Amino acid sequence: MALAGFRQLVRGVLSARCIGAAVTVLRPSHRYLCSQSSALHPSYVPKTSISEPPWPKIELPDSIEEAQQHKELVKNVNNLIATGQFGRLFAVVHFASKQWKVTNEDLVLINGIVEAQCGDRIRLEKVLLVGSDNFTLVGKPLLGKDLVRVEATVVEKTDSHPKINMKFWRRHRHQKKKIIITPQTILRINTIEIAPVLS
Amino acid sequence: MTARGSPSRFLQSVLRNGVGRYVCQLKRLTLTFSKDAQPSRGAREFIEEKIVDFAKANPGVVLYVEPKPCSVPKLVAEYLNGTVREEAVNRKTGEEIAELVQKMASQSGLEIIRIRNPQHTDNPSIQGQWHPFTNKPAHINLQLLDTAGQQTTSQQ
Repeated sequence: MALAGFRQLVRGVLSARCIGAAVTVLRPSHRYLCSQSSALHPSYVPKTSISEPPWPKIELPDSIEEAQQHKELVKNVNNLIATGQFGRLFAVVHFASKQWKVTNEDLVLINGIVEAQCGDRIRLEKVLLVGSDNFTLVGKPLLGKDLVRVEATVVEKTDSHPKINMKFWRRHRHQKKKIIITPQTILRINTIEIAPVLS
Repeated sequence: MTARGSPSRFLQSVLRNGVGRYVCQLKRLTLTFSKDAQPSRGAREFIEEKIVDFAKANPGVVLYVEPKPCSVPKLVAEYLNGTVREEAVNRKTGEEIAELVQKMASQSGLEIIRIRNPQHTDNPSIQGQWHPFTNKPAHINLQLLDTAGQQTTSQQ
């Protein structure tokens, strides 16, 4: 029996690369005896970054325990929201194809026209994240409309400063001057409200 | 001119407008036009058709219409922060003048120059400034007193 195991070992050594082979030969032979049925012995595989990741093995927590912890956490955060035990809130809002990190009383300049008159109050519905001192709610990718409410007022609708687009080709009597003015809108963030409906 | 060379300011609003309620920043609008000159035709059209609607929609704006023999009709806007903006409205139709007046009413009277940052906030950080140990386990940054003492003695 021991001989058979040794033969297999030699075959494995011949097929393996030289560095890995040195490692396998040093190991005791009795381990190969017990796992003859498998085609490739796990011990023949050299320990490289391909066979095994260099970082320590991550052990995932127990799913039931994790669910319990999550439930407790959600309950705690809902309690915090319901009792109003959070300070100033901030939110990451997607508006005019940009993401803005805003809090109350912020000013936001938007290049382009917003279809609302000056003084109108609008609601920014694409909220990606809401944070306070003690907790952060992250959307996947957006937070629900019943959970968060971010409101803003259109404060000013104006024009940008005249941007001058000048082209000059020396010795060629060629020059072009274009003055570009684009419409701009300024928003004032009024409120960021959250409701205790986390689940 | 390059962007860095041009005059600039930060994003701002007049007297925190919009925090409580919104206040239209246009205070007074004067339209000077001639009763019979050709360049004032658009201005006369605007007065006949659209000026009353604008005045009704914006009760906070004082509107003066001043007939005066002139070759260039003018629109002078005065804002609550003291800015005076003057626009010539010759060769403009009634609709174009109405658009211009609407735009003047929606502006705040602050200087139209390059704005350095598209956002202004008084509270830049709510959860604290980021540093390399945020959201890291606390034991990384912990050091026991006796081990620290040993280190200092070994260095001496």
